[in-house]
Amino acid sequence: MWSGRGRTAIVGIGYSEITRRPQKPLGLLAIDACRAALADSGLRAEQIDGLATYPESPFAGAGNRDGEDVVSVMYIVNHLALASDIRWYAQIEMGMIASPVIEGVNALIAGACDYVLVWRALHRPIARGSGGKNSGPPRAAGDAQFMATYGCSSIVQWHALAWQRYMHRYGATREALAALALNSRRNANLNPRAFFYKDPMTRDDYLNSRWIAEPLCLYDCDVPIDGCVAMILTTADRARDLKNPPAYIAGYGQNTAPRRTLFHYALDDYMECGGSLARKLWSSAGLGPRDMDAAQLYDGFNPSTLYWLEAAGFCGRGEGGSFVQNGRIALTGELPVNTFGGSLSEGRMHGMGHIAEAVRQVTGRADQRQIPGAQVACAIDGSPMLRGSGIVVTQSPS
Amino acid sequence: MVEKNAVSEVRTKPIPVADETSAPFWQAARDRRLVVQRCSACGYYNHPPRRVCDACLSQDLTFAPVSGKGKIFSFTIMHQRDVVGFENEAPFINLVVELDEQPLLLMVSDRPLTERDRVRIGAAVEVYFEDRGDGSMIPEFLIK
Repeated sequence: MWSGRGRTAIVGIGYSEITRRPQKPLGLLAIDACRAALADSGLRAEQIDGLATYPESPFAGAGNRDGEDVVSVMYIVNHLALASDIRWYAQIEMGMIASPVIEGVNALIAGACDYVLVWRALHRPIARGSGGKNSGPPRAAGDAQFMATYGCSSIVQWHALAWQRYMHRYGATREALAALALNSRRNANLNPRAFFYKDPMTRDDYLNSRWIAEPLCLYDCDVPIDGCVAMILTTADRARDLKNPPAYIAGYGQNTAPRRTLFHYALDDYMECGGSLARKLWSSAGLGPRDMDAAQLYDGFNPSTLYWLEAAGFCGRGEGGSFVQNGRIALTGELPVNTFGGSLSEGRMHGMGHIAEAVRQVTGRADQRQIPGAQVACAIDGSPMLRGSGIVVTQSPS
Repeated sequence: MVEKNAVSEVRTKPIPVADETSAPFWQAARDRRLVVQRCSACGYYNHPPRRVCDACLSQDLTFAPVSGKGKIFSFTIMHQRDVVGFENEAPFINLVVELDEQPLLLMVSDRPLTERDRVRIGAAVEVYFEDRGDGSMIPEFLIK
């Protein structure tokens, strides 16, 4: 078990509006979320002396204008009246959204700072032309030589290829993904922040939705939004003085990938990467899948949740499709999954919504979605191939 | 994540840009030959080509001919009409084929939707070379 178990906690969460019609540029949404997190925690901005984010705009052709496409550490330093001496910061390039949380945890334990602000700001992809009419044929360099040349260049296609293998190998059908999508939508209908809060979905709605990259349909893809979620971390002893019950961080894990070049189509690579994260996560927390009162599992694309259920040991290989049936993953079920609606139905917050909900569940602040008596929850992000990170949070520090 | 179909101007299909590592692959393709990078130390086939063998980390890599035969490993049908160069093709099929020479030796191909009935995991395929008329000769796979 990790020596840092229970020594840090998440003490405040804040959201900007989650919207497809932003009234403000991304940077101002981030300021809203950070201010909301401060208000939630009861801390003053000048107490924040540590900052961490994962700013990447994760879509092909993304821009990197600060305050518009991404929100960097310097943007937040310049637009909030934080501590005059920022003692620590991290701007993560590789990893996923739990990675800056993990960095913040390590910084707090090391005594590098007292209060860490972490945020994740996401911008909708704007359809961009790939060049003017006179720019000549598009060129595919690097890995794209072997992919874009064939029109196989987007993540949804790569996920579709892996899911096709899964269905073939295990005899799964659309029912597996339908159960997950419907579960998430039902939970989103209880989440006032969710993009689809007011939009219920029936099984027919799901099955009749248009194909994107068959066998993945529209509702197998997370809904792109503009928004920001922020949270504040501190040490356990400081957390006890604050107004919210702390969500103690019991353990964490990050992916490594097998030592071979990953081409995006092999199901086994997803499983191996996921397993690598899960082993570290469970071992550091001294807990396992059976200890979880809720599991917030990344769902940028619907099959990822299924892969996590298997790779993290909630069920056996190939059993995910039946595991998610018959209410087992519902709020009242044996293992509630994505209790806030997931990226599929809350909005594409790239894993930050998962962490926020895990915190809410173990601190009794999940409102209508509260699982009675929830004390332990995990939030795991990543497809799970290549890069991912996860944490376990608990109501009690030990 | 997915945005509503944005109808963009129609582009020609992307042309692969050969680099120092991949040049022999594309050179052979121009001669209608399929080659795959192979490790001289351990015999492992590496694709896409790279600087260091995935299996043994040797940097002694060369290119070897392969039979061009394989099986469909997976497939997807892309319905979005904003894939660069494939705007008029959608919906179209992408295959991933596994070459006979080695497990998980994978290559991509694209097929028209008219071939949908022939597509299934495990179906035999064979390479051919498509002259795209834009200076590039592209390996593609025919479903047998």
